[in-house]
Amino acid sequence: MLGYIARRTLVAIPVLAGVLLVVFLLVRLLPGEPCTAMLGERATPEACERFNRANGLDQPLPVQLGIYAQRIVSGDFGESIRFSRPVSTILLERLPVTAELAISALAVAVIIGIPLGIVAARRHNTVVDVGAMAVANVGVSMPVFWLGLLLAYFGAIVLGNTPFALPASGRLPAGMRPDPFWEVWGLDLGESGFVYSMAFFISKMQIVNALISAQWEELWAAIKHLILPTLALATIPMSIIARMTRSSLLDVLQRDYIRTARAKGAGDRLVVRRHALRNALLPVVTVIGLQLGGLLGGAVLTETVFGLAGVGTALYESISTRDFPIVQAFTVVIAATYVVINLIVDISYGYLDPRVRLK
Amino acid sequence: MKKLKGVVILAILAMVAAACGADEPADTSAPAETSAPAETTAPPETTETTAPSDTSAPSGDLASVSAESCDYGGKIQSIEATGTHEVVFTLCSPDPAFLAKLAFVPFAIQPAEHLEATGGSPLDNPIGTGPFMLDAWERGSEIVMSANPDYWGGPPPFETLVFRWAAESTSRILELQSGNAHYITNLAASDYETIQNDENLVLLEDPNPNIFYIGMTNTFEPFNDVRVRQAVAMGIDRQRIVDNFYPLGSEVADFFTPCSIPNGCEGEPWYEFDPEAARALLAEAGYPDGFDTRITYRDVFRVYLPEPGAVATEIATQLRENLGINATVEEVESGAFIEQTSIGAMDGIHLLGWGADYPHVTNFLDTHFRGPQFGDTIPELVELLDQGAATVDEAEAAPIYEQANNLLREHVPVVPVAHGAAADAALATVEGAQVPPFGAPQFHTMTPDGDTLVFVQNAEPISLFCADETDGESLSACEQVLEGLYDYDLEGNPVPALAESCDPNEDGTVWTCAIRQGVKFHDGSDLDANDVVTSFAVGIDAAHPLHVGNTGGFEYFAYLWGALMNAEDAGGEG
Repeated sequence: MLGYIARRTLVAIPVLAGVLLVVFLLVRLLPGEPCTAMLGERATPEACERFNRANGLDQPLPVQLGIYAQRIVSGDFGESIRFSRPVSTILLERLPVTAELAISALAVAVIIGIPLGIVAARRHNTVVDVGAMAVANVGVSMPVFWLGLLLAYFGAIVLGNTPFALPASGRLPAGMRPDPFWEVWGLDLGESGFVYSMAFFISKMQIVNALISAQWEELWAAIKHLILPTLALATIPMSIIARMTRSSLLDVLQRDYIRTARAKGAGDRLVVRRHALRNALLPVVTVIGLQLGGLLGGAVLTETVFGLAGVGTALYESISTRDFPIVQAFTVVIAATYVVINLIVDISYGYLDPRVRLK
Repeated sequence: MKKLKGVVILAILAMVAAACGADEPADTSAPAETSAPAETTAPPETTETTAPSDTSAPSGDLASVSAESCDYGGKIQSIEATGTHEVVFTLCSPDPAFLAKLAFVPFAIQPAEHLEATGGSPLDNPIGTGPFMLDAWERGSEIVMSANPDYWGGPPPFETLVFRWAAESTSRILELQSGNAHYITNLAASDYETIQNDENLVLLEDPNPNIFYIGMTNTFEPFNDVRVRQAVAMGIDRQRIVDNFYPLGSEVADFFTPCSIPNGCEGEPWYEFDPEAARALLAEAGYPDGFDTRITYRDVFRVYLPEPGAVATEIATQLRENLGINATVEEVESGAFIEQTSIGAMDGIHLLGWGADYPHVTNFLDTHFRGPQFGDTIPELVELLDQGAATVDEAEAAPIYEQANNLLREHVPVVPVAHGAAADAALATVEGAQVPPFGAPQFHTMTPDGDTLVFVQNAEPISLFCADETDGESLSACEQVLEGLYDYDLEGNPVPALAESCDPNEDGTVWTCAIRQGVKFHDGSDLDANDVVTSFAVGIDAAHPLHVGNTGGFEYFAYLWGALMNAEDAGGEG
């Protein structure tokens, strides 16, 4: 198993290098200069020249690429052109927001999508089946942006004067600043170093931070702020998972060994749970893995609508302002996440189906 | 299986660790004390003039910054502290807009010691004298400020000011409607009705002066013939454009400079829509059946041009229907568009506009008609602009600008089309909510129904060192914390702030500013003349060791004061 993971990791290196190369070139092919974005429309050519020199943008492309590759190998993503701050620091601030959103959306998608698919398969060709699949079809057809605005309106305005009102934007209410969990625990982690960075990362996942440090008011606020974006982001993957579960389960339920199980007197629920579902879930797991990758992309729109400071909004703003270091680093991290998710999916095959052996 | 889970967790942690390294996350806490000096690049060699280090002289010494001569092209020759509370600005030539420019927030004052301690780059820990003090900048989410109880103008009527941001206009409105925000900015035109129909909200018109114009470069045929340009001026129904593509409150432009700017509307108003006279002029110029040309624009939303593509198409339609001119519509990437138009290289008709930086007619006329944007300049006009720029007294300058405006009408380098309206919105419970013509909303003059006012703007500030920022979002936040020698009042007039007064000498080339006494910075230190000189020196002197900032461009210093001093000596670091 470890050998398999090592080989897959090695294979990922050229993939990530390819992603890096493509993104590096593509962002520079975009019309518009970082100088204009940063210094404004009235920047003189001389000012732009100085700006480009200070940021290494006056070098030939291969030289820029070489310098960047050299840095990134040593784990240095460089400094943001806009903010004059290390990209890795910005990543540490942004990634937890997206991670929390994507994980919660995937959880909702799986928790609702799989049962919906199972119900539809078990009640094949009934009103329940048609209804469930109609819901799934509507869900998969709904643009995230539009759905997000609709949900925000519903949560903030329609429910506005009720106890069920939900906030339309932001990760926490204005002015609320939960203490980092390590401070609540009385730990002194300093202000730098690997341990501090990891703790900082975790503390920026507001639900996790509030939960493990027993800050209940903050926990409730964090959950409330995540509900609408989660629903918006989860709708499409939930619909896809439901449809895939249904079709996969229908296929398995028609297999001979299922007929045999039924012939031996096993009840419908037992047949589905013990014999059919595990096999039917193999393609579903693949889809879930792919959807998690898609969630990172969908997060761009969701985060924009709900004003969340995640990877998506940072990437969007950085593309608009030609902040190359952020675009490059964030894209590579998203690609790396995708690679890791695929690896986890492949490993999970062996768990779901013992006949699958990883070599 | 447990082993597998462990491996997976380790893999994820390793990936995050590799991505994030061990870099230190931002310190988002408030700057109660200044941090240790940042490591900066080695200071460049000092100039032959007053050494920049003079500006960071120990207490008791008076700071100064100067250029060797005025040959560097800028407007300021020197800035000197002539007493603990007196600063003298010596200009290369009179500048009637001097006070209006001083009020712009990039020229705000911070303690000299703080600028030194932060290596000239206090990007997220500004220390000012303003009505609010920075408490925390939660990156990506919000900036929290608290009321300055010792504010020299009197403490604000509420405790906490929160800056948040949402890119979508609809999201901002939802925040307002749900009561989570008290004041939002930059409404989309389509949302005006929503606000007006909600009795809990108020629409706040933004009176910032601006102009949308049709430019023609007179070095390209057929626009080298003034009759063609006049024909275009008469052949376009500007009212139709305003009616169809601009929000309520917008108006047709009778002059290039909006009338809210003193001397902007002297002279004869623009031509009436008269397609017959326009066709006659075209025929006289040798184009009875029109001609082929192009209309270029950039697809960027601005208050002066909210729907660029649609307006470009409308103008093409009107040119064809009214004058027989066949114009193709071409979108040009924004950066390239600005670059091409600013050097007069854009053939055909181009659509552009301008929003005022400061309340003076020079900000409109000098910016546009001294350079090559519309081809060859009009010598008589440039002469008048020179006279205007040397006349400090507004009444004396009025006849000069009357002639200048009439010359623009005669030569038609541009067709002024519209002054676009913009608006903010607030909860009806916020007393005193108002949008000033210049600068950000002045929240310390407003009273919400509680102890906190939440403001939602378009985007997050880039930094809070506004000497080296150009984005409105940064400037809005800076204005709550920082102040300059002058400020804009709610009508847009420059009024004394950290200066009790700034008075010119007879010819307007020397301004002596009396610095307000007894003012304290948020860190408790006293404001003095050295703080003023150092704050200016850091921005305007490219050879100053603290000339670091965010981008190092200090664009507003270069743009509004003509150029950066000692830029060559900076060795490109400026």
